[in-house]
Amino acid sequence: MSKAVIEALAARFPGDVYEPYEGVGGDDAIFVRKSEIARVCKFLKTEPAMAFHMAPYITAVDYLGLEPRFEIVYNLLSTTQNHRVRLRVKVSESDLEVPTVTGVWRGADWFERYCLDMYGIRFKGHPDPRRLLMYDEFVGHPLRKDYPLRGRQPLVPERDIQDIYRGPGPDGRD
Amino acid sequence: MATESHGMGGLDPQATPGSRGAGEHDRPFEGQHHARGYEGPLDAPLRGKQMVVNLGPSHPAMHGVTRAVVALEGETIVEMKLDIGFLHRGFEKSCENLTWGQAFPYTDRLNYVSAILNNVGYALAVEKLCKIDVPLRSKYLRVVTGELHRICDHLTLVAAMGLELGAMTVFLYGVEARDLLYDRLTEICGARLTSNYVRVGGVSRDAPEGWTEKTLQTLARVAELRETIDKLLTRNRIFMDRTKGTGVISREDALDFGFTGPCLRATGEPYDVRKAAPYLVYDRIDFDIPVGSKGDNYDRFLMRMEELRQSERIVKQCFQQMEPGDIVIEDFRFVLPPKPLVYGTIEGVMAHFKLIMEGIKVPPGEAYSYTEAANGELGFYVVSDGGGRPYKLGLRAPGWPMLAAIPHMTKGALLSDLVPTYDSINMIGGEVEQ
Amino acid sequence: MADDTTKPPAPAAAPPKPPGPPAPPPPKHPGFVTCTVDGREVVVKPGTNVIEAAKSVGIEVPYYCWHKRLSVAANCRMCLVEMSNAPGGKLMPGCQMPVAEGITVKTESQRVKDQQRATLEFLLLSHPVDCAICDQAGECKLQDYYMKYDQKPSRLDIPKVEKDKRVRLGPLVTLDQERCILCTRCVRFMREVAKQPQLGVAERGNQSFITTFPGQPLDSKYAGNTVDICPVGALTSSDFRFRGRVWFMSAARSVCTGCSRGCNTFLDYLKQATYRYRPRENDAVNQEWMCDDGRLSYKYLNTDRVLAPREGRGAAARDLPLGAAMDAAAATLRPHAIAGTLAALFSPVASLEDLLVAALVATEGLGLAEIYMGGRPDGWHDDFLKRADENPNRKGLELVAQAFGLLVRPLSELTRAIETGRVKALWAVGAEVPDLAAAPAFARLDTFVCQAFNQGPVAHAATVLLPAAPHSEAEGSFVNFEGRPQRFELAYWPRGGSHPHWKLAAELGKALGLAWRFQTAREVWTELGPRVAEALPGFDWDGLPSAGRRRGLVPLATGTVDGRLPGYRERVPSGASGDTRMDLLKLGR
Repeated sequence: MSKAVIEALAARFPGDVYEPYEGVGGDDAIFVRKSEIARVCKFLKTEPAMAFHMAPYITAVDYLGLEPRFEIVYNLLSTTQNHRVRLRVKVSESDLEVPTVTGVWRGADWFERYCLDMYGIRFKGHPDPRRLLMYDEFVGHPLRKDYPLRGRQPLVPERDIQDIYRGPGPDGRD
Repeated sequence: MATESHGMGGLDPQATPGSRGAGEHDRPFEGQHHARGYEGPLDAPLRGKQMVVNLGPSHPAMHGVTRAVVALEGETIVEMKLDIGFLHRGFEKSCENLTWGQAFPYTDRLNYVSAILNNVGYALAVEKLCKIDVPLRSKYLRVVTGELHRICDHLTLVAAMGLELGAMTVFLYGVEARDLLYDRLTEICGARLTSNYVRVGGVSRDAPEGWTEKTLQTLARVAELRETIDKLLTRNRIFMDRTKGTGVISREDALDFGFTGPCLRATGEPYDVRKAAPYLVYDRIDFDIPVGSKGDNYDRFLMRMEELRQSERIVKQCFQQMEPGDIVIEDFRFVLPPKPLVYGTIEGVMAHFKLIMEGIKVPPGEAYSYTEAANGELGFYVVSDGGGRPYKLGLRAPGWPMLAAIPHMTKGALLSDLVPTYDSINMIGGEVEQ
Repeated sequence: MADDTTKPPAPAAAPPKPPGPPAPPPPKHPGFVTCTVDGREVVVKPGTNVIEAAKSVGIEVPYYCWHKRLSVAANCRMCLVEMSNAPGGKLMPGCQMPVAEGITVKTESQRVKDQQRATLEFLLLSHPVDCAICDQAGECKLQDYYMKYDQKPSRLDIPKVEKDKRVRLGPLVTLDQERCILCTRCVRFMREVAKQPQLGVAERGNQSFITTFPGQPLDSKYAGNTVDICPVGALTSSDFRFRGRVWFMSAARSVCTGCSRGCNTFLDYLKQATYRYRPRENDAVNQEWMCDDGRLSYKYLNTDRVLAPREGRGAAARDLPLGAAMDAAAATLRPHAIAGTLAALFSPVASLEDLLVAALVATEGLGLAEIYMGGRPDGWHDDFLKRADENPNRKGLELVAQAFGLLVRPLSELTRAIETGRVKALWAVGAEVPDLAAAPAFARLDTFVCQAFNQGPVAHAATVLLPAAPHSEAEGSFVNFEGRPQRFELAYWPRGGSHPHWKLAAELGKALGLAWRFQTAREVWTELGPRVAEALPGFDWDGLPSAGRRRGLVPLATGTVDGRLPGYRERVPSGASGDTRMDLLKLGR
């Protein structure tokens, strides 16, 4: 479907992308070195032949027991070229910081917050690094495989509007 | 597009002064992030104090689940932050601990207005990993029921949009049409909303006797009601005033934010998964993709109105093309054996037992599968470790990017514009908050 | 080897080779046999059969009748494979055929697949439609192999042969003859391992069935193992029969407490109840067998448990919170400790960790120099597994006493001391006594602080009764009669208000004014273990991964300790803190 994309990536970023493969159903995917992901994404978006103007889905997977443990998966789409590609970035548990791609696609904002929320992966340079679905007082990252399925955490008092708006002050209050 | 309204917007001396519907030129706040409301020659130059207002999560305009914290100057939105997660149910975590088959009822509850579209999206993801091709009739049944649910979804949006902008009549018409379709869907799958109709390898039941004819009659009635709604809303002065030019997003921004579906097409980007990467039998069917031009609430509304017609076309063509046949594959590795075999033979009961207790053994691997749901691209990123349960079931909710872009779309707009914008992106808490 | 011209010319002096089969090729790896299984090179010791050779490279050959600890029967025909050295190109049973140098084995060819399917079709021909009521469902090899190798409806439609559905072979084993596939594993087990050939096959053809000799029940003390090795649901445990569905249960790695052998077990539990023990493989201890008495020894974990602290005897008894009970215990024990009228009774059913903390409290908190040995009375024994000493940790108790300089005295001396009035107060870690006749003596004590698993005459005599959690509800280790330390892991959180002995002892120590306190059994071992570590060389306490890490339902096929799918009701941490945040913080996440 998008062999050309993979080839272009391999030619442009030798050493930074590796192990391209054709997934089930003919989806092309390639691994990208963590430090280079923002650069690769920028290239994919700006290069006219690639034209990946959109990142429909970015998510993370916890491969507990493997090293590196986490993986960020970028599913990209070009509406003009009508091709897709999947970038996979391995993230080690010891270094959970990944360059943000919010500068490339604004839509990545919430997806990255989701990864932060659910997997505890931090995105360097993210404009608004807060939890997305869970509340700030929540401890842990629920989609990690070692988070207990029936974990219970106590109710927390509702926060002030000001807190939500500006974020808690140094002592948790303004 | 037939319903495109060039010349209708423009400068309209009859438009309510100050309303956005008054036209392109009459938009004093364009690009001003800290605009202070319209200052005509007769307005007193009073400066209001910036005020932070909490909308929701228990506010009808927030659809009951989202909290928006809005900084206002007068009635103008200066800045807005969304606080979501009030409807978060841990969809992915739950599904990781269910068998592949048990996840279907959970997908029903993502976009609960168009459950079968979710079922289909999920089934296609699993089938992609299993590399199975379902029988032709089940493909048609998936498309038919899916498109009926798409009609339901769009009807809900159109009706609710009317309701929230003050047109109760439209809502009643819309809900009547929707419930007629729900009755047909109940006949085929047993439930109005939470259909749980699709299975890995096919669908759960065939259409009952006479269902096709009944559905065609229903569609005729739905078409009547749709045209009534069209007459009531599409040229309605108030409706146009509230929706035209509000909640605007440009084509580039929409792509940047990851818009898909009708909201993306309203900006002029002609992308539809059913056309770009046809799945099931969409490549055998003749239908059009409506495309807008302005990316405002009115365009998004028009997309829905036109897709209602197109979906009807699709269903009718499917009925013509459908032929009797199997509705599931016959493979005990994926599909439950027929009940007589389960109750009567050891082979059947063993296959049934293993599939229910341990789940389908999906080959190890990962795949991203995408379909066109009512609100856009519904994606499932599935990872299997070869066991009976999903290792990861990532949900790409169609409504997610649109909700994320609400602060962008309403910046500098009036607070009242938030309501139609919220309506037209069709934020469904069930899918966005998982 | 096929091309003769490439061979170097034979020396002229050599006599002409006599006609016959070609000489076997020289081994590629001297001392080993090298062959090819499904295109992969396998190097194994001579005499290895095809099943094990294939397994060594991760290729599964299905089998029913073969068992690595039993003789080969080759009667189920499930393991037939293609072998290049087979006479006439027949399919050969992989369990019986040793691999030979240079041969090629195919386990996935169409012929083999057809054969596997046909075998299953025949095996299932007379199999009753029983999965819904069968105890084996969920761990049945017929089900597993059907889904792997057959997956199709039967092509045969003939009436099933009817046989007896409920044959009580013996006290622990019930046979369903219809489900039996006549693999004869049980027959061979009784003959070869238990050395009591009580089972046999009667009749012929599809009328055959497993039976005992007329009038002679299957009363071997090892008969329970036939249930474990039965690949289908024919032999069922009369004890476990119809009591629970195996797929709901989870397993914890545990150790049998029935005798001082310490057979390794899987403890199968559901919510907060133990349902059965299954032997766990350990070549050094129990191979993969255990005796029936050990198998049934789980029952005290479930019934008649002490679940709340109690103060007072008889009508004056009242439940009270643990803290208050500890204060009461400390307050009543202290004067006796000062007066020298205090004694301590330690049970060898308690774990090593329990006894370490108890010994520390006894020496530092109570100033004792001797302890009395409790424990269960001796039972039967044989020269296979069962030991006469029915206490799992007597050796451990001796080690601990030695490490803390405590003198160990028998119970009879304690009874005498109570009768003479030399001992007026007693602290018991474990209520097991070799002679129940001692119980009336305990009733005469002024103060009797008793940590007990179960209600009973001894617990009844306590002035302060503390609920103790047995090994199913705790982490710890036992030292078996050979001095071999073996870890067991927590299966479920302690029932009711109970706590492991070590925790109760530590609380008591705290109430007595000792400064330290332990949070986990691991901390106990880290701090006190070195005192006995010398006697237990090479013991890795974390050799079993900590159960605390194995939280939630990990949806991996091998997510559970016994390699099966995880049970649907994994351990719920609610019993611990009710707050996952605390657990996560504790685990350092």
